Amino acid sequence: MGGTVQASRTPDWLLRGEPGLCRCGPAGIRRKGSFVEKTLTGGADLLRQVMFSEEIAGRPGLLQRLDPRLKAVSLVVLLVAVGLVHHVGTLVACYALTLLLATASRLPLAFFIKRVWLFIPIFSGIVVLPATLSIVTPGEVVLPLWHWHGAPQGFTAQGLTSAALVISRVATSVSLVVLLTLTTPWTRLLAALRALGVPRIFILIIGMAYRYVFLLLGVVTEMYEARKARTVRARRNDRAARGFVAASAGALFGRAGHLSEEVHLAMVARGYRGSPRTLHAFRLRAADAVAAVVVLAAAVTIYGGDVLVGR
Amino acid sequence: MHIPDGYLSPQTCAAAYVVAVPAWAIATNRVTRVVKTRNVPTLAVLAALSFLVMMFNIPIPDGTTAHAVGAVIIAIALGPWAAVIAVSVALLFQALLFGDGGVLAFGANAVNLAILMPFVGYGVYRLIAGRAPLTSRRRIAAAAIGGYVGINAAALATAVEFGIQPELFHTASGAPLYSPYGLSQAIPAMLLPHLTIAGAAEAILTGGVLAYLARTDPARLAATHRDVPATAGEPAPAGGRRLTPARVSLGFVAVMVLLTPLGLLAPGGAFGEGAPHELNLGQLGLHAVPAGLAEYNGFWSHTLLSGYGFHDGQHANLAYILSAVIGIAVVAAVIFGVGTLVERVARRRRGTDPVAEPETA
Repeated sequence: MGGTVQASRTPDWLLRGEPGLCRCGPAGIRRKGSFVEKTLTGGADLLRQVMFSEEIAGRPGLLQRLDPRLKAVSLVVLLVAVGLVHHVGTLVACYALTLLLATASRLPLAFFIKRVWLFIPIFSGIVVLPATLSIVTPGEVVLPLWHWHGAPQGFTAQGLTSAALVISRVATSVSLVVLLTLTTPWTRLLAALRALGVPRIFILIIGMAYRYVFLLLGVVTEMYEARKARTVRARRNDRAARGFVAASAGALFGRAGHLSEEVHLAMVARGYRGSPRTLHAFRLRAADAVAAVVVLAAAVTIYGGDVLVGR
Repeated sequence: MHIPDGYLSPQTCAAAYVVAVPAWAIATNRVTRVVKTRNVPTLAVLAALSFLVMMFNIPIPDGTTAHAVGAVIIAIALGPWAAVIAVSVALLFQALLFGDGGVLAFGANAVNLAILMPFVGYGVYRLIAGRAPLTSRRRIAAAAIGGYVGINAAALATAVEFGIQPELFHTASGAPLYSPYGLSQAIPAMLLPHLTIAGAAEAILTGGVLAYLARTDPARLAATHRDVPATAGEPAPAGGRRLTPARVSLGFVAVMVLLTPLGLLAPGGAFGEGAPHELNLGQLGLHAVPAGLAEYNGFWSHTLLSGYGFHDGQHANLAYILSAVIGIAVVAAVIFGVGTLVERVARRRRGTDPVAEPETA
């Protein structure tokens, strides 16, 4: 995260990789992390990512100012528009637009690009690579690599177009989702979903689950840290390791069961009778109306422009 | 196996939501029926649990580690309907908080991992475990196999969703718009890693957690194991599952849906189903199409989807799948109707004859 970290309000020590969680071994010799370390690192990454996102969502910026209901609906409209596009050029233009929005919302651009591209679009690139060859996607061979029964085989125009379409579409879609989640605090997003007609029981479940993910994550981390503390040297014993994973997951089931009973009793004691009440008041402002028009125009332009270019 | 946005067409995603939304509604209804105030905290904690189970790194026999989904063990411990909600919420977190799995594709991911996987896995588990005691080896093996089959069913469904894309959606020049691999490539590509690595991880987690819970915390399993004795010595509690018409038709639908893609993959045509002009008369030692065949062929022409296709012959695969959906629904409805009728007749007969089967009363 580099430079973006210093500017954030999240304590510096929390964002730094801890030596205890480092996957690299002593004296710079890299070795594959054990399942304990991998799970611990995964948990730490999860917390770090969530804290960082919540913090950015609290900063002032263009998208942060808009009504979360509008943002949620806009996301779906734009995702569908992007999904229906047939040309790589249109998708690249849409992607450029998401970068513009990210800048206007004061998201650290390097972080935004890294967050979007790391893993999913790069992974997609590897996945669709074989599809560029004539053995998967038949068509006009533009770069012959070998011959098969006299016919040239290699990269096809159709295959390359398809790969470019998939990668640019995935990158644009992920960017749109990340734009929403990085500019909207989780609680506001949930309230917006409720306001848009998602049944209240789901909102309540999702909201409470979000709370208890972190509590139970603490339980898991403790179990794994205790295990790590008891481990003297790094010799693999897969059988014991599998036993430990099953036991820790099983213990988590037990803890979760007790927890849900306690939470239930606590809720009933506080007057919960099966129908939750929530406090939320959204008001659409002039800026939101303008944004709605802009989003609708953008969606029509994306789809219409793509159709005009030719199918 | 979380499908990101961009791999499936918006149309496919919409179809997945059409399947997922009623399943969510039924699941909520089923879970709410038991205790009205308890469902929200229970499901919330379960969803959190499901999310964390997906984080566990499981050491598998090839020396590396892999993640499991955990949908089957949740279904075994708390019932498949609870698993539907818990895994769906966990998938929603992954899609919204971490960009793992798409928003449009959320419905498809939910269908594969949160609906198909727990039900298939739980079904296999029930089938193999039978009435074996809670702590028996057979039950643990059943859980492991259930996890293994469950994740592979989900992988197969994902592969089918990917595989129908290039055929249905491509540009004028033939470049696929979404996932570029056809069924014959997507299915082996998805199933190979899931039959080996991911399947192993799921089997280890499902079997291991069930063994742990049966040994240390059998109360957690009580909700779904009422008719099962705790140990080999104890007698089994009375009352088991009955074969109701609804269950039989649902089972039929599940089997048929799983088998449907075979027709798209299989080469050649069906034996004895060719039209008269397709017959190789010389090979059969005939000089002309038999008179009866010629007369009665085409006797019934008022079909909805002639030759499993649309009238204009477009979108052959889509038409095939549509035909399959309609066919399965009709046959399932007939099975349900006949089953209900048989049951009603049997009950009436039992009602008029008080001597018959007094122990079931």
